[in-house]
Amino acid sequence: MSGGVTIHVIVNGRARDLEVDVHALLLDVLRDGLDLKGAKRSCDTQVCGACTVLVDGLAVSACTYLAVEADARSVLTVEGLAEGESLHPLQRAFVEAGAVQCGFCTSGMLLTARAMLAENASPTRDDVLHYLRGSLCRCTGYRKIVDAVLAAAETVR
Amino acid sequence: MSARPLRVVGQPVPRVDALEKVTGRARYVTDLTVPGMAHAKVLRSPYAHARVKRVDATRARALSGVFAVLAGADLTWCDPYYGPAYRDRPVLAIDVARYEGEPVAAVAAVDEATAERALELVDVDYEPLTAVMTLEEALAPGAPLVHAGQPPAGHFADLSTLRPQPGTNICHQFHFARGAAAAALTGADVVVEDAYRFPSVQHVALEPHAVLAAWDETGALTLWASTQNPYSVRVELAKMFDVPLARIRVVVPHLGGGFGSKTYAKLEPLAATLARVAGRPVRLAASIPEAFQTVRRCASRVMLRVGFRRDGILVAVECDADYDVGAYADIGPRVVQKGTYTATGPYRVPHVRLEARAVYTNTTPGGAFRGFGVPQLAWALESLFDVAADRLNRDPVDLRRQNFLAHGEEFAPGDTPIDGKLEESLSRAAEAIGWTRASAADRGRGVAAMLKASVAPSVSEAIVRLHADGSVTVLASAVEMGQGARTVLAQIAAEVLSVPLDRVTVVQPDTAVTPYDQTTSSSRSTAMTGRAVQVAAEDVREQLLAIAAPSLGLAARDLALADGAVVAASRRLTYAEALALRFGMSGGELIGRGVIAPGRTAAPLGGSTPFWEMAVGAAEVSVDEETGAVRVERYVSVADVGRAINPLTLEGQDEGGVVQGLGHTLLEEMLYADGHLLNGTLLVYRVPRADDAPPELECRFVENADGSGPFGAKGAGEGSLIPVSPAVANALARLTGVRLRELPLTPERVWRALRARSSRT
Amino acid sequence: MLRPFTLHRPATAREACALLAGLGEEAAVYAGGTELLLLMKLGLLRPRHLVDVKRIGGFGDIADGPRLAIGAAVTHRAVERSALVQARCPLVGSVARHVANVRVRNVGTVGGNLAFADPHSDLATLFLTLDAAVELVSPRGSRELPLAEFVRGPWETARASDELLASVRLTPWPSGTAAAYVKFGVHERPTLAVAAALRLDGGGRGGGDRILDARVAVGCVSPRPMRVAAAEASLAGASIADVDGAARAASEIAAASVDPADDLYGSADYKREMVAVFVRRALRIAAARARGAEPSERFPHAVVA
Repeated sequence: MSGGVTIHVIVNGRARDLEVDVHALLLDVLRDGLDLKGAKRSCDTQVCGACTVLVDGLAVSACTYLAVEADARSVLTVEGLAEGESLHPLQRAFVEAGAVQCGFCTSGMLLTARAMLAENASPTRDDVLHYLRGSLCRCTGYRKIVDAVLAAAETVR
Repeated sequence: MSARPLRVVGQPVPRVDALEKVTGRARYVTDLTVPGMAHAKVLRSPYAHARVKRVDATRARALSGVFAVLAGADLTWCDPYYGPAYRDRPVLAIDVARYEGEPVAAVAAVDEATAERALELVDVDYEPLTAVMTLEEALAPGAPLVHAGQPPAGHFADLSTLRPQPGTNICHQFHFARGAAAAALTGADVVVEDAYRFPSVQHVALEPHAVLAAWDETGALTLWASTQNPYSVRVELAKMFDVPLARIRVVVPHLGGGFGSKTYAKLEPLAATLARVAGRPVRLAASIPEAFQTVRRCASRVMLRVGFRRDGILVAVECDADYDVGAYADIGPRVVQKGTYTATGPYRVPHVRLEARAVYTNTTPGGAFRGFGVPQLAWALESLFDVAADRLNRDPVDLRRQNFLAHGEEFAPGDTPIDGKLEESLSRAAEAIGWTRASAADRGRGVAAMLKASVAPSVSEAIVRLHADGSVTVLASAVEMGQGARTVLAQIAAEVLSVPLDRVTVVQPDTAVTPYDQTTSSSRSTAMTGRAVQVAAEDVREQLLAIAAPSLGLAARDLALADGAVVAASRRLTYAEALALRFGMSGGELIGRGVIAPGRTAAPLGGSTPFWEMAVGAAEVSVDEETGAVRVERYVSVADVGRAINPLTLEGQDEGGVVQGLGHTLLEEMLYADGHLLNGTLLVYRVPRADDAPPELECRFVENADGSGPFGAKGAGEGSLIPVSPAVANALARLTGVRLRELPLTPERVWRALRARSSRT
Repeated sequence: MLRPFTLHRPATAREACALLAGLGEEAAVYAGGTELLLLMKLGLLRPRHLVDVKRIGGFGDIADGPRLAIGAAVTHRAVERSALVQARCPLVGSVARHVANVRVRNVGTVGGNLAFADPHSDLATLFLTLDAAVELVSPRGSRELPLAEFVRGPWETARASDELLASVRLTPWPSGTAAAYVKFGVHERPTLAVAAALRLDGGGRGGGDRILDARVAVGCVSPRPMRVAAAEASLAGASIADVDGAARAASEIAAASVDPADDLYGSADYKREMVAVFVRRALRIAAARARGAEPSERFPHAVVA
């Protein structure tokens, strides 16, 4: 396939038909095509995690992932975490723990943690550190982020 | 001031922008679009130093979808130079490129892909020149000059006395002396001296620099910029385009981190220039590698000689410090002054000779980075303090305690006296790290202290508006870059006006709306901008009391504010009622104003610091001797903050400061070879990850309400970072006997030092 | 931003090879894209055609047999979670868990990793100790090549431009083998990786105490990963109870055998010394596992699997 194609993606629970270029990156389709600005472009090399979205529940670097790969799949962005006005326990935990500063890494952290909790509902601190190894933050020093993830895990349990 | 207990100041309330950030609704510059917006890309010099002989943009301009292509030679219609200390930095290289990565040409096109393709069609002829890449190379006799001739001074009054050394790469010299240091050192019982090196490191804010510039049909300019000082950007652009300040508007949405990288104009002049020529709005966003080519910390080589009496009294300090400020001075000269000014640290020293130089090299310009010159000095002084303690056979904590400046003591004539209790921070840190308890055989502990002045003179202005329904708007230009400034300002206004926090809105900085604030840096936003907000809110309070008094039949001094109303005994007039009374209708507002501008003083740096930032760090480390890998197992930071307006956000900031400090201490270093930066990407520039944070990390605060800021607050945010490197190095020395003088303490560096030790014994 | 390309999604290997043969240098093989798309973003590669191998029958499978066959399009995550891998080659699953970061593991593939042959790739290091062989298919048929011959140097393999890496075949160690894998380094990619496997007499835990044969592989420090035969030979016959001396000797041989260069991952002499350190450590851990113990020691900036 080349040029423009139509893909069918469930984005944040809503079925969408999207016209995308074959060479388009998922991050740009989400940010520019769907106005979902929560995922950020930062390192652009899969190191920092600021662009993380979940595809069929798995964390991917949207900056280095073709949009066409999301065809017939579901994509979850940070905008889809809350249920209406009701925050996801992770979001609530981040707010309460003071785990947000500049906010640029926050979307990636939340989604990565969400993916982890789906696999492991009782993570240890080491489990969280393992999962967040690829999610960088320059503001918080990570401690409150890890605390928030563990607190949310407890709430969800 | 009421003695009533504080309701919201001092509370660990969630930050006011938390919700938008956790839901992805917070907007940063690259989330913004305006109709007709073009996308910009920059062509950068591949050489550290080269003559730019010819830039041919013909093919690039011909590409469909390209709106403008600019090179330095095209900038004849504006003043193409900017810079806060020297206006030495051209928007695009003019005749010569002075560092690898310097913008040489720029394209504005319909989309990024077109802009990138257009860049490839720009032909540039370079003639490589000899580059000076290090302090040694730049200072060598006969070294090629990064700048021929002296550029004009920039816009900061305190730097009007720039002192370059003509004919050299030295663009500023700082000198400070008292007593007779040389003689005192000769007479000292113990003299410790050595040279300490601090590397070039990059801020790596997760959001690189970004700006969206748009000229309107009247010739007025609006920018949305990821900047820490919109007013500084505004004045640069006004000069550049010869437009009145009132017709340049700089708006600041959220910043994805700053740490000093976004102080003073960086990419804003280029975006504005492109937008003007393209005739449409232009968004220019840097990548992380481009951030490495925009600004970094000033690397340094600091030679200190410190003399002590046998009884431990510190008698003299001599300092010769060279700072590498890169190819353009940026705020480097002030970094040099500021860092060197407190070369003596938080100690009493009668005899002092301090010399420092800002040196140009053909590398990424060095500018502000959290700590602003002080980490470089503290690295040297606090390391030498422990070396001295060893020689004097004294406990390092004790030796520091003995020499600390006391509360109220003079630091330098004309400057603010010490406004905190260093001894309290030291004691608490020592206790928390278990200093007097024996450490495990495989662990070592170290401490370090710091003292830093905040920028002075400086100005902060604020407006507080009380609306007809009793809600409040705060207008102030402190930039929210994650440190929680908006929240703290809201808390202050809410406290003074006795309204719930969620009834206060702090609008984003916007030079058309929010009044002048010099800069969001220097740990000053709570103490200075916060104080302006406090004064503005108090102004509103006074107005309310004056309105209410006749209505309640009482004198204003017998009234107070509580829960959104003016109260006295059982009488109560809500703000809504008060305004209705004042305006005779439902409508109108009360406007309060606060101006904090202490002005120039006789202090050595031209103004008296509004507060002293002081803190102590204590580290406990282990080392894998076979590999040299150092691990910080525990770290305690104690900062003397006067009053923690928000203990939750403050603790978060200081935890972040410690971990960022661990970056330059153990991991980070910009490496150059043959004129090229080797590691300007996160694949090979290593910033701390989650598992690098110390497993035990405590950030604590001394609060004696002894600051000049709101409710006795001082400043914070840099004090947690500055002691990290010497505390860790001191711990390593106590554990292994090995003393390193160059950062970062990478595994290989430590391994080599351990081997050298082994081969000596 | 990526430049436009045509994406082909062949359903069979034959189709894929025909495409590669026809398109030549204009085509790149595409699986997870974690390496390829990055190079394309940087402008270092500009293929006009991507040949997606993820839909090719069998490429996403892990198959059992005398050898374990991991299809080229199997992700690191799938390897990590595969019960079959856990049963036949558990260390492979443990190592897969530590490749890069979770996002790369979810998308990146074993085949892509081997075919890219990054000199800092650590997967190949482990595979060498499992007698790994790659299956290459082309219009001419299929052939098998030992991994050591497949990886020729930094980013250089023996794959012809019309050949596809279809799977990698691993020969699980016999029971009574204890192994360890350690990688060390500060950056995103490791400075060095060591895989060590010790086959003991007695065929089982608590059985014999003598090393019948050993496998030692070192990666990331030389132009390509390598087995160190001389180190392996030096270990044969050593007693597990007395492994420290043998480990020291083997580690010195290993250090002398590598060909490191000064680079951002370390200077040559440091790397050489670290090879010695980590070969020793890997052997110690393997020996402890041979005795039924799981050592808890961990080293800063190192991952132990």
